[in-house]
Amino acid sequence: MEWNPETLQFLSQCFLHTLSPQPEPRRAAESSLSEAADRPNYGLAVLRLLAEPSVDEQIRQAAAVNFKNHLRTRWAPSNEPNAGPAFSPILQPEKDQIKTLIVSLMLSSSPRIQSQLSEALAVIGKHDFPKSWPTLLPELISNLQKAAQSADYASINGILGTANSIFKKFRYQYKTNDLLLDLKYCLDNFAAPLLEIFLKTASLIDSTVASAGDGSPVTLRPLFESQRLCCRIFYSLNFQELPEFFEDHMREWMGEFKKYLTVSYPSLDSSANELALVDELRAAVCENISLYMEKNEEEFQGYLNDFASAVWSLLTNVSQSSSRDKLAVTAMKFLTTVSTSVHHTLFANEGVIPQICQSIVIPNVRLRDEDEELFEMNYVEFIRRDMEGSDLDTRRRIACELLKGIATHYKKQVTDIVSIQIQNLLSSFATNPSANWKNKDCAIYLVVSLATKKAGGTNVSTDLVDVQTFFTSVIVPELQSQDVNGFPMLKAGALKFFTMFRGQIQKPVAFQLFSDLVRYLGSESNVVHSYAASCIEKLLLVKEEGGKARYTSADITPCLPVLMNNLFNALKFPESEENQYVMKCIMRVLGIADISSDIAGPCIGGLTSILNEVCKNPKNPIFNHYLFESVASLIRRACERDASLISAFEASLFPSLQTILANDVTEFLPYAFQLLAQLVELNRPPISPSYMQIFVLLLSPDSWRRSSNVPALVRLLQAFLQKAPHELNQEGRLNQVLGIFNMLISSPSTDEQGFYVLNTVIENLEFGVISSYMSNIWNVLFMRLQNRRTVKFQKSLVIFMSLFLVKHGATNLVDTMNAVQANIFLVILEQFWIPNLKLIAGAIELKLTAVASTRLICESPVLLDAAAARHWGKMLDSIVTLLSRPEQDRVDEEPEMPDIAENVGYTATFVKLYNAGKKEDDPLTDIKDPKHFLVASLAKVSALTPGRFPQIINENLEPANQAALLQLCSTYNCTIV
Amino acid sequence: MADDSPASHRRDPIKSSVGNVAAQRRRQNAVTVGKERRESLVRAKRLCRVGPSADGDVPVEGNDMITDEEEFLLEAQTSSAVEDLKSTVAYQGKGAMQKRVNALRELRRLLSKSEFPPIEAALKAGAIPLLVQCLSFGSQDEQLLEAAWCLTNIAAGKPEETKALLPALPLLIAHLGEKSSLPVAEQCAWALGNVAGEGEELRNVLLSQGALPPLARMMLPNKGSTVRTAAWALSNLIKGPDPKAATELIRVDGVLDAILRHLRKSDEELATEVAWVVVYLSALSNFATGVLVKTDVLHLLVERLATSNSLQLLIPVLRSLGNLVAGDSHTTSTILVPGLEITDGVIKVLVKCLKSEHRVLKKEASWVLSNIAAGSVEHKQLIYSSEAVPLLLHLLSTAPFDIRKEVAYVLGNLCVAPTGGDGKPNLIQEHLVSLVQRGCLSGFIDLVRSADVEAARLGLQFMELVLRGMPSGEGPKLVEREDGIDAMERYQFHENEDLRNMANGLVDKYFGEDYGVDE
Repeated sequence: MEWNPETLQFLSQCFLHTLSPQPEPRRAAESSLSEAADRPNYGLAVLRLLAEPSVDEQIRQAAAVNFKNHLRTRWAPSNEPNAGPAFSPILQPEKDQIKTLIVSLMLSSSPRIQSQLSEALAVIGKHDFPKSWPTLLPELISNLQKAAQSADYASINGILGTANSIFKKFRYQYKTNDLLLDLKYCLDNFAAPLLEIFLKTASLIDSTVASAGDGSPVTLRPLFESQRLCCRIFYSLNFQELPEFFEDHMREWMGEFKKYLTVSYPSLDSSANELALVDELRAAVCENISLYMEKNEEEFQGYLNDFASAVWSLLTNVSQSSSRDKLAVTAMKFLTTVSTSVHHTLFANEGVIPQICQSIVIPNVRLRDEDEELFEMNYVEFIRRDMEGSDLDTRRRIACELLKGIATHYKKQVTDIVSIQIQNLLSSFATNPSANWKNKDCAIYLVVSLATKKAGGTNVSTDLVDVQTFFTSVIVPELQSQDVNGFPMLKAGALKFFTMFRGQIQKPVAFQLFSDLVRYLGSESNVVHSYAASCIEKLLLVKEEGGKARYTSADITPCLPVLMNNLFNALKFPESEENQYVMKCIMRVLGIADISSDIAGPCIGGLTSILNEVCKNPKNPIFNHYLFESVASLIRRACERDASLISAFEASLFPSLQTILANDVTEFLPYAFQLLAQLVELNRPPISPSYMQIFVLLLSPDSWRRSSNVPALVRLLQAFLQKAPHELNQEGRLNQVLGIFNMLISSPSTDEQGFYVLNTVIENLEFGVISSYMSNIWNVLFMRLQNRRTVKFQKSLVIFMSLFLVKHGATNLVDTMNAVQANIFLVILEQFWIPNLKLIAGAIELKLTAVASTRLICESPVLLDAAAARHWGKMLDSIVTLLSRPEQDRVDEEPEMPDIAENVGYTATFVKLYNAGKKEDDPLTDIKDPKHFLVASLAKVSALTPGRFPQIINENLEPANQAALLQLCSTYNCTIV
Repeated sequence: MADDSPASHRRDPIKSSVGNVAAQRRRQNAVTVGKERRESLVRAKRLCRVGPSADGDVPVEGNDMITDEEEFLLEAQTSSAVEDLKSTVAYQGKGAMQKRVNALRELRRLLSKSEFPPIEAALKAGAIPLLVQCLSFGSQDEQLLEAAWCLTNIAAGKPEETKALLPALPLLIAHLGEKSSLPVAEQCAWALGNVAGEGEELRNVLLSQGALPPLARMMLPNKGSTVRTAAWALSNLIKGPDPKAATELIRVDGVLDAILRHLRKSDEELATEVAWVVVYLSALSNFATGVLVKTDVLHLLVERLATSNSLQLLIPVLRSLGNLVAGDSHTTSTILVPGLEITDGVIKVLVKCLKSEHRVLKKEASWVLSNIAAGSVEHKQLIYSSEAVPLLLHLLSTAPFDIRKEVAYVLGNLCVAPTGGDGKPNLIQEHLVSLVQRGCLSGFIDLVRSADVEAARLGLQFMELVLRGMPSGEGPKLVEREDGIDAMERYQFHENEDLRNMANGLVDKYFGEDYGVDE
């Protein structure tokens, strides 16, 4: 793409249209841009456009975003075949020009464009810095020094921001020589200029603040931002180890750090916005000193006392304020680090721990207005933080972490003090429950958060209180409260406690509360009915020692109608229409309860109406998954009891499933196919005509193109083949099925599915039906073997041949193969069957291939021929390996093929429905033990020609296998003569 | 070349599977951004305030602190001393020689007077070209000595001051030769040592100008001070990160014997310098390591460790030992064979270092042990049953972070058996069970919580062993009890993909939400 007025005009127009509210011009512009993006020098042209002052700012902003994204996909396009569409990479000369231009352009741009370009620069840096971009750092530094001279803080912060993003990699990559070389390069060049600008800005702040009246927020704002960026860069450069330069200049750095933690800036304190700016700097300082405390405590030791007391008094102030979360959190993290370090004795002094508890922990754990707001306004987020561990950076959680940290060395003191605090909080609640309810919440929170997590992420143990007593005296009264809507946060806390400690609550106690839980499903509060559902769901999973479920269907039968009713009603509350906790509970209950037809009817009605609703606009994949699991579970368990229900299910579900198929609801297709497969399997032949319509759909190659559908389609096809083999042989359908096999087998990512199709055909149809197709099938397989021979394919082939053999006999196998090419059977046997046999894994597969191989050497004339003695011996050797060695010794783990799920674009993925799952079919139910089968068959065949086989065995089997075979013979009392 | 570059990734291979504790030997990273700990003891650049040959004519000012006025005076004197030198160099008449020497001596005296010599003033006044001229061939020893001394102290300055010596390097190197007198050669070696201590760039210049062979030959005789200076200069010169110089050094005839001889017989001060040479030889060059381990150097190092209490000496000796263990499998497979006296000796001295109050010794001793523990099952058993284990367990719960991390490598390695090929390492259940019973799990879980990604990885790997390997499925319960689930959950969204996958994989596998639900 050449840079000329036409290009400028074209690009400006396109970018303008991408902002259009009208879809047509917008789409047209987007598609011309994506077309243009494939041409060389497109990126450069967009970058030039950004530099054109004549172009409207709005257009340039859009262009800047586009430029950044262009770089992201094309600077170093991923080589992975499965990473989505391939983009043509930007060519080297264009890259060089972009690198030459971008820094100066970024610095001269307006703030919004600057931030986009800074990100674009970071994208380049990620791949090219420093080795392929040696000019970047010097350019940044010289610009930094220039900008510093003129105190141009827009540029300074632009440069520091860029440096911060390119140095971030030092924060999380493993320490290798390469990384250290890069780091050393950055340190050698940047450490000194960084300190210089940091100190310069520091003295600017000092003098601005000192000259009374001039400390205006406008002047100070960029200065504080600059210091914050310096601190973040400090963090990156110091992360791997303490660099020499920073050790030599620790005093300068720490001096300023301490100042920011201790000095207050009155001109900024007045407005929350300005205060936040200072707090961000303080938070960055806290992260830096935490890092030093953790990794360089020896060098840092001299500063520790000052910082500890600075942070402490800072926290005492911050604790009162509600909008200073980030600072409070990082400051508490620093104290936590100190408490677990070798300098923990700072906490040993009399009164320190009680004071921390009193003035730092409790104020931070107490509910604040923000928490109440979140509880009401965004229940999903509240639950995520409160229950699911996304609270790593909340004050409540970090305050508890601090207590845990101190407890590593002062367990007894902490336990004692916290127990007392809990008692105090509870007795204050008791004096006036409605005014002091937050104290009780605080007490419950402390108990739950200081407990140790157990399996499942939600089961806990504690030594702060006696769980049983606490439960009875504190939690039960809340749960038994008749008003399900009063004090919802306290109710939520009580339900959470019950859920967390569910394992320790005796069954009779919990059982009594079951009806209360069901009642709370009717609470208007989304959090409360979600927690109630979650609590029921988790209770149903509790296992006794030994693995038996503690609560059984009999326990829930009495309240089942109310329970189901309340669950479905809970889904009618505003914002709970797609409540995943409620749906998960439905799934769990349906998986355990006895489902009579009285229950099944309303359930299927309720579920299908929800299904119809979500089909219109699938939003919450977790909710939808539990919905389909619920349907599958209901079908499975209800029909297990009463097969006649199937037609009722069909009647309810078919319209929904047809909607999904007809409207091509992509996300749901894999689920729909799985449900259909489940229904087909439950049917008795003959299969109803409505299914046969779907069968037609199944045979159209279009259905198979979307790879997320393939596993579910295979499963459905198997179901049809098993239930309706005769229909298959009509109207050329078998040809179509084999066409699908042909398509799937050609690609390594779907060949496994191809074998499923083929195996199903072979297993369910008579030889007479398939014989005329066999030449074609073998041809396809051999072709694939020639072109792309993966281990997985070879193993699948061995399994297929084995299945063919046990279903249709060795002679048919050998003859159909040799019909393709004379004597090819022995070639395949030697090159593929024998070497791959010992790699077979999985119990059913192992038995199948072992038995088939045994039958081959004991029954097939080809193998029993004297000329094939060596093949015979090697085959037996492989069988013995397969049967005598544990799987991990035989099977090398090969690199996993990419999952089907990883193959698809952004829309749908295949997720297996557990409840629609099918039991593994064993094609050889009459043979139980393949080892026994082997030695018995060998004994029989050897008896016909005594003396012949021992010699072959002697010549062809590994000594270890000879010994193993002997061992097997003696185990089963058989002899090879 | 292939066998001679330092194995920069000799650490355990990074795999997404967690079943791979670092049962590999680890070399110290060849690149370092931190202060070389050596420097606080023995600086990379050294000022020469007393003549190496100690003529006795140099008054040493006792007081290092000088006032601003004194500093100003010193600078003025230096400028005029350089001016004097300039005129004596130009002067060709009678007594020129002596005048030049006098002027040089005056300048040298000024440059040696304080801890902060007036280098800048000397350079500004144009000292370098004059000093180079004074080094010309055929000059008297006394003149050469004084000029080299001046250069030595200039080279001890800031980076750009050291760099100013570039024009003098060819002559300084030339005077190292056998034809020079020992004091001259030694003074030149000192100056060059300072230059080499500056950094990689100047080292490469020196190497390309051929500084290494003559310096190496200075190590051969038994003259203490010369050998000491040469060894120190060499240790600066071969620091790398390119291993070529180290390989070149060990190939110089007689150097290997000299190193062994000095390690065996010399006083602690000389042994210290020689040990630093061994440190860099063994850290960088696989070839040198291979040559060294076939001698009795290990015996000598162990002997020194057993008998000395000098921290200065113990550090390089211990690190050399560690490098030799990490760098060549020959060391553990054929020399440090369990059952041999030397092996017991090594364990014994390492235990001594673990007990020492010096942090560096504890850390490096743990590192050495971790590499021995990466050896055969017999090695693991030997360490396991030694006095080291209780010390290590104690350190794991009480020591500062960097020591804990090294200790964790030892304990982790004790629990996995080596594997032949690329399969997963097998557990040594007996060790695992006993170490866990003695309380080491919480130490590893603390590492998972640390900000250091390598320590976190090690912690996760050990947790995996516990989860997989503790008998009767006790692992998950133990991890739970130590609050390990919480520690792992912190990695749910970590930027380091490897750690994220490991932690999430473990949580899913052993603590999956519906763990135990499905039939």
